[in-house]
Amino acid sequence: MSAPAHALSGPSGAAASRAANPVPVMTDTLRSEWTKMRTLRSTKVTLAITAFLVIGLSALITWASVSSPHHGTQAITNPVGVIQSGWGLGWLAFEVLGVLVVTNEYSSGMIASTFLATPKRVRVLAAKAAVLSVVVGLVSLVMTFVNFYVGHAVLSAYPAFPDPALGANNVLRAVLGMALTSTLMALIGFALGAIVRHTAGGITASVAVLFVLPLVLQALPTSWRNPVEEYWPTQAGSQLEQVTRQAHALTAWWGTGDLALFVALLLVAAGYLVTRRDA
Amino acid sequence: MIQVRNVTKRFGAKTAVNNLTFDVQPGVVTGFLGPNGAGKTTTLRTIVGLVRPEVGSVTVNGTKYHDLPAPMHEVGALLEAKAYHPGRRARDHLLALAQASRIPRRRVEEVLGLVGLSDAAKRKAGTFSLGMAQRLGIATALLGDPPVLLLDEPVNGLDPEGILWVRKLMQALAAEGRTVLVSSHLMSEMALTATHVIVIGRGRLIADSTIDELVRTSSGSRVRLRTPMADAVLPRLQAAGGTVQPGDDGAILVSGLEPKAVGDIAFEAQVPVYELTRLEASLEQAFMELTQEESEFRGQGSEGAQEGHGALPSSGPLPSNGGEAPAAQQGWPAPVPAQGWPAGQQGGAPGAPSQGWPAGQQGWSGPA
Repeated sequence: MSAPAHALSGPSGAAASRAANPVPVMTDTLRSEWTKMRTLRSTKVTLAITAFLVIGLSALITWASVSSPHHGTQAITNPVGVIQSGWGLGWLAFEVLGVLVVTNEYSSGMIASTFLATPKRVRVLAAKAAVLSVVVGLVSLVMTFVNFYVGHAVLSAYPAFPDPALGANNVLRAVLGMALTSTLMALIGFALGAIVRHTAGGITASVAVLFVLPLVLQALPTSWRNPVEEYWPTQAGSQLEQVTRQAHALTAWWGTGDLALFVALLLVAAGYLVTRRDA
Repeated sequence: MIQVRNVTKRFGAKTAVNNLTFDVQPGVVTGFLGPNGAGKTTTLRTIVGLVRPEVGSVTVNGTKYHDLPAPMHEVGALLEAKAYHPGRRARDHLLALAQASRIPRRRVEEVLGLVGLSDAAKRKAGTFSLGMAQRLGIATALLGDPPVLLLDEPVNGLDPEGILWVRKLMQALAAEGRTVLVSSHLMSEMALTATHVIVIGRGRLIADSTIDELVRTSSGSRVRLRTPMADAVLPRLQAAGGTVQPGDDGAILVSGLEPKAVGDIAFEAQVPVYELTRLEASLEQAFMELTQEESEFRGQGSEGAQEGHGALPSSGPLPSNGGEAPAAQQGWPAPVPAQGWPAGQQGGAPGAPSQGWPAGQQGWSGPA
């Protein structure tokens, strides 16, 4: 091993040299978080598998629902819903990705390095959330269009069923909306991950919010169930993908606002806890 | 310079750090010593703001870590060996941290070369051995070329060559005028590396002094006198306050007196002196003596008496119960002080006897 000191720049005399140090700002934190995101193979693999499964599953269900002699009425009344039927899985996958973005730092010990470099923890959280949103937003945007055209192609082979066009009423909103809802789902996972700080716990909480609690609500008497279901964030948020308004449901944009408010509250809670707790 | 002021940190009912105050000065390597569970790591994490103390404050060059405008340019820290994601390549790990601190990309290559990881830069950090992990951690600490360095057990897992390298690196960094605080449980390593030591036990400051002072004032230090007329000089030595024990082949081991005093007494007694040698305790022995009462995880064999804590050079508070020896346990032949020092037992400081401190006994048990 060579003499250790050659690459050291000599005595950096404490506070005297402080003025010369470049002061990092938010863009530096964003750049760092983007590097972290793109240099983990697991991120890319997760996204690729998610895209494949969501588009494949949606196509399969679309095909099944029109080719089977016992097909339901769904394909007639809500063809866009059938085309997008694999997205429940996609939302879960994005939630899990959101959880992992935070918890993999806690489980590996990376979080110490992160907070040493950027002791302003809210800035770290904000940069992580921003990078996650852009990545999930762009990937799901591509996915939702591919998904739509694949479904479109399947339906066009069966002239007995309506084949929705992008220009038809609220169809484009449903297709574009899938990217927005997916991004908000990823942020739910992200905030829950930051609150819980454990991968398994974060994923469990995400599944509970997305699937389990809505299922439990079914046990409530209808007079209770309807208003709770109406405002349950993940239920409300999914109204953006409905071409026609559902009974006992918020409108598309009120529903999305409801989900966004829920995400905002979770993020504030996450920011508060991460700042207050020892890392 | 690091200033720790009245820091207290509790985890639930357990007080990890208790009203701790010390300074770490630039220009020398400062060793940070304490038994397992003494609060070393908690203290280091407090300095960089990862842990918030209930009471007290910590500043680095006069500013709290959280408020440093460019923290990695001011403090470099190696706190745990594996503070990275195992799936990320070493170079990418450093790049992400460099970007967060506005450090140019070429500095990543520089520090990789500096720690000898250039060839492993494309490997996933999860495939690294503990020694390579330590090197990556040191590379991280050096990224911002900071004037203050905190290293928690940096030689853990390193091979002898690596240990020598870290020692030289720390000394070079200190020689450049930087503040270097290194925790370790390897006393022999600290004796070779550090100039100054801060010793804590159960979260309290036990000693804050130079290693030389610590060792010199340790009760383990004594004087070996060799004379053919021992009987003539023994009463005089005892009268002067020395404690005398027979050494090997007729030598006398005197504790409690300086060589000068022993020489004067021999002269007054008009006995010929063949040898008059100061035997310094090793840092390890001095440390064991200091922390006897403060060990968090103590085996029963090491609970025996130790001679007075009285002569400590500490500028800080001393444990009040030092020197109280439960008489019934005196003379327990505990072979190893079972305080969880797996590797530090063998090597004493250079020039000092290297046998382990025979806890529970009053004096040396073997030839020096």
